Amino acid sequence: MKEQLRPIIESLIFISLEPLSLEKLKSVLQDFPQEEVELALQELLKSNESNERGIQIIQSGGGYLFATKPEYDPWVKRLLNIERKTKLSQASLETLSIIAYHQPITQAEISALRGVDSTYTLKTLLQKKLTKIVGRKKAPGKPLIYRTSEKFLLYFGLNSLDDLPSEEEILKILEDEKFSEE
Amino acid sequence: MNELNSLETSETSESYQVRLEIFEGPLDLLLFLIRKKKIDIHDIPMAIITKEYLDYLNRKERIDLEREAEFLLIAALLIYIKSQMLLPREQVLDQEGDPRRPLVDRLLDFQKIKAASLLLREREDEQSLNWTRTALPPLSPEEEVIDLSDVSLFDLAEAFFTLLKRKERENFMVIPGKEVSLENKMKEILDVLQENVVLDFLEYLDKQESIEEALVSFFSLLELIKAKLVMAIQESLFQSIKVWLRKDLRKKTP
Repeated sequence: MKEQLRPIIESLIFISLEPLSLEKLKSVLQDFPQEEVELALQELLKSNESNERGIQIIQSGGGYLFATKPEYDPWVKRLLNIERKTKLSQASLETLSIIAYHQPITQAEISALRGVDSTYTLKTLLQKKLTKIVGRKKAPGKPLIYRTSEKFLLYFGLNSLDDLPSEEEILKILEDEKFSEE
Repeated sequence: MNELNSLETSETSESYQVRLEIFEGPLDLLLFLIRKKKIDIHDIPMAIITKEYLDYLNRKERIDLEREAEFLLIAALLIYIKSQMLLPREQVLDQEGDPRRPLVDRLLDFQKIKAASLLLREREDEQSLNWTRTALPPLSPEEEVIDLSDVSLFDLAEAFFTLLKRKERENFMVIPGKEVSLENKMKEILDVLQENVVLDFLEYLDKQESIEEALVSFFSLLELIKAKLVMAIQESLFQSIKVWLRKDLRKKTP
């Protein structure tokens, strides 16, 4: 029975509509000792390193899911008839990082931090479902409150908001930048 | 005075053409200028930076009122800060009272945001190579469960307005009508009379699918009366019209 755990976990990740969280996995496999489930999962993740497979299991958006390996990107694009994956604009990225680090936040607060009106950018981010409206602020005009969405995590390959680049990483970038200019 | 001297000597090199469009906003431009002039962000010489900043605004080629307003707002702030610093004060300003302080804080915040977005861009690049399946093979209809957990109020509103838009367009759609000809209708009425002997014409009108069809039915009735094929009696105004086949015609039919 124990040997079967890996293929079981693999099949569950495969069939799950959203990233399969560890909690969910454990609750489905409650007949097994939790440590064994975790161990089997770790062993399964090791199989990512095998050259025999084009797919890997990644941890993103709060759980585990299948993805193709980066080296096969050119072929996937050919199949899907995509020449270049569209990337977010600089304005979108800035706005997203403000929301990510300052959420919950209103449009006016975002615009103030950027020094630029962000209404349009926010609208496109909502349409892309990278952000979501979570309510209204109890302030004059009852402005809408924004947060990053689950799709935001998936898009950037983050498992949770804790995975966002840390303050130290940001400060390091700033120093590097200064360094390179002098 | 030192600041003024350097202002005069600071070259506004025409060779260094940078279009305003490449800056995401006024803070972006300010940071660029600070770096270009190798200025300490915590001790910004206001006169120099203001002049540089205004030079860039003057150099821009296109006028985009909305964007310009944002750039001018910061220009006004720069001049305001400079004027505050020129005011004679009794005490030497400490760091907290420095009129440049709020702007510096904003710039530092913005710098962090830029750095963070740079890091996010790296993650985006990495992640874009990991392709995931966006949809599973379709489930059979009876198993299909609509997941509403991800539907926000915004989604609902958007769906509603899309529907409204579509409805609006529908008003202009030409609905292909059923073609009703007088001949066919007359024949139809005769057929009904063959089977039922008597026909309540108001009831018959009610069964018609469109106004046009009802109208044609009525004209058909008039034609049939004129051709002496049917008899029609209406006992009083607004009462139902009863229609019979003429006797001689009835005999002919099997």
